[in-house]
Amino acid sequence: MSAAWAVWRKELAIYAATPLAYVLAAVTLSLAGLFFWLGVALTGEASLRVMLSDLAVAQLFIVPMLTMRSVAEERRQGTLELLLTCPVSPGAIVVGKWLAALTLCGIVLAATGVFPVVLAMYGDPDWGVIATSYLGLGCVSAAFCAAGLFASTLTDDHVAAGLLGIVMLLPLWLLAGAERVLPRAWAERLAPLGLVGHLQSFGHGILDTADLAYFAALGCGFLVLATHRLEGRRWR
Amino acid sequence: MVEVRALCKSWGPRPALRDVGFAIGSGEIVGILGPNGAGKTTTMRILTGYLAATSGEVRVAGHDVLDDPDAVKRHVGYLPETPPLYPELTVGQSLRFVAELRGYDRRARVLAAGTAMERVGLGGWEDRRVGTLSKGYRQRVGIAQAILHAPPVLILDEPTSGLDPAQVGEIRALIRALAGSHTVLLSTHVLAEVEAMCPRAVVLAAGRVRADGPLDALRAATGDGGWVEAEVRGVAPRVLGEVPGVAWVEPGEADADGWIPLRMKAADPARPSIAAAVQVAGGQLRALRWCLPSLQDTFLSLTRDP
Repeated sequence: MSAAWAVWRKELAIYAATPLAYVLAAVTLSLAGLFFWLGVALTGEASLRVMLSDLAVAQLFIVPMLTMRSVAEERRQGTLELLLTCPVSPGAIVVGKWLAALTLCGIVLAATGVFPVVLAMYGDPDWGVIATSYLGLGCVSAAFCAAGLFASTLTDDHVAAGLLGIVMLLPLWLLAGAERVLPRAWAERLAPLGLVGHLQSFGHGILDTADLAYFAALGCGFLVLATHRLEGRRWR
Repeated sequence: MVEVRALCKSWGPRPALRDVGFAIGSGEIVGILGPNGAGKTTTMRILTGYLAATSGEVRVAGHDVLDDPDAVKRHVGYLPETPPLYPELTVGQSLRFVAELRGYDRRARVLAAGTAMERVGLGGWEDRRVGTLSKGYRQRVGIAQAILHAPPVLILDEPTSGLDPAQVGEIRALIRALAGSHTVLLSTHVLAEVEAMCPRAVVLAAGRVRADGPLDALRAATGDGGWVEAEVRGVAPRVLGEVPGVAWVEPGEADADGWIPLRMKAADPARPSIAAAVQVAGGQLRALRWCLPSLQDTFLSLTRDP
């Protein structure tokens, strides 16, 4: 597993040296500020409910942009050849890259910690709900990073990888409105796959193992697919 | 040290390698020579475990690349055609990253990176960003990454392509210096490269091995071997055609002073008899050279489509 840490450290060094991560962090934080203000001003509640659920949607677009380079660039630059001719398992490479993207998401989420502090200064927020909401957002980030990473293994074009990531995640979000377009029976069957349903309980301060399992399955599934892509490359 | 047997690789119906086989002993420097698209890079990628062969067997330092790719990867240092570099990292960061990937602990990483930088002449460049280096220096970083774990086998894919003549000279000198402690396999489509560095060449064309051996043997194997060139005055060319060992004589145009250039099909040891025959006939001899076909001729005749 030391190889995964090597990749993690290298990825963070590259994120730190390129503008992409800073731009995306700035965009995320600006949106968070906007959502926070809207949420508090419109509902008059001392809660982060609006901000956190809207941020989850924003992540759907931002995280694939963050991860779009991760494998595509290695392939384009030829550095994938370096990684795969070292005695390192493709799984370790994928995990290292996933952890690096997740670390960055974690840093940005930590920076939004200023908003609950503001709430606490002027109101009496429910800390339990805030904690579960952040946990939900963390789960969303982890699953999205995995999906974006998988998208990045599919092509060596960054932009295509980013768009693919969004396209893969979008249906999961749109399932929330499925009953409006699909026959009832179908919509009911697909509903458990939707993102929104699994996020709601986090926003209500409830930790449901079904929701945790959903995100774990989503994340692990995409990580396994990404590893499989890197392994399979040898045979093509 | 490296054994390749009956190696085949195809992408769909298109064969890239057909029954490629060769063996390289410990400490040898071997050049894989071939035109673009001959299968040089594919062969090297299979040797390094980056690609899997369709069929055939590859063993490096006794390990099978299919059964135990990690053992092969530990024994091989590989420089792909475009050096695999992260332009955002510094030279030191790059080398320490590769060392960490290869499982070195923190102290060993710093040590190995330092040694590799010294060996390729990058001492003092540790904190330079790779993206700001010239092509020749990037190539050095690539080589440093490849030799960092002191691998017994070094595989270099077109190590001097795209460099200016001064850089080519530097990288060749560097590879020759490394050859002392590694078995080196390098690929090139530049003949001079093989001539300058490799006592032995494997000629690859259209996915097949066309020739394998020391350069002189390759020359001798193609075409008619060598010939003798002479310049004489005051002697009839047909007289020399009667010298034992001379198959035929092809005279050229005599110049203003009467010197006639001759091309004779003869073996190298026939030269003293030729000189003696000129003297006996009362003629003069100005030049008597033993000529071999150039590597260029050899290369072209070996890689021509059958």
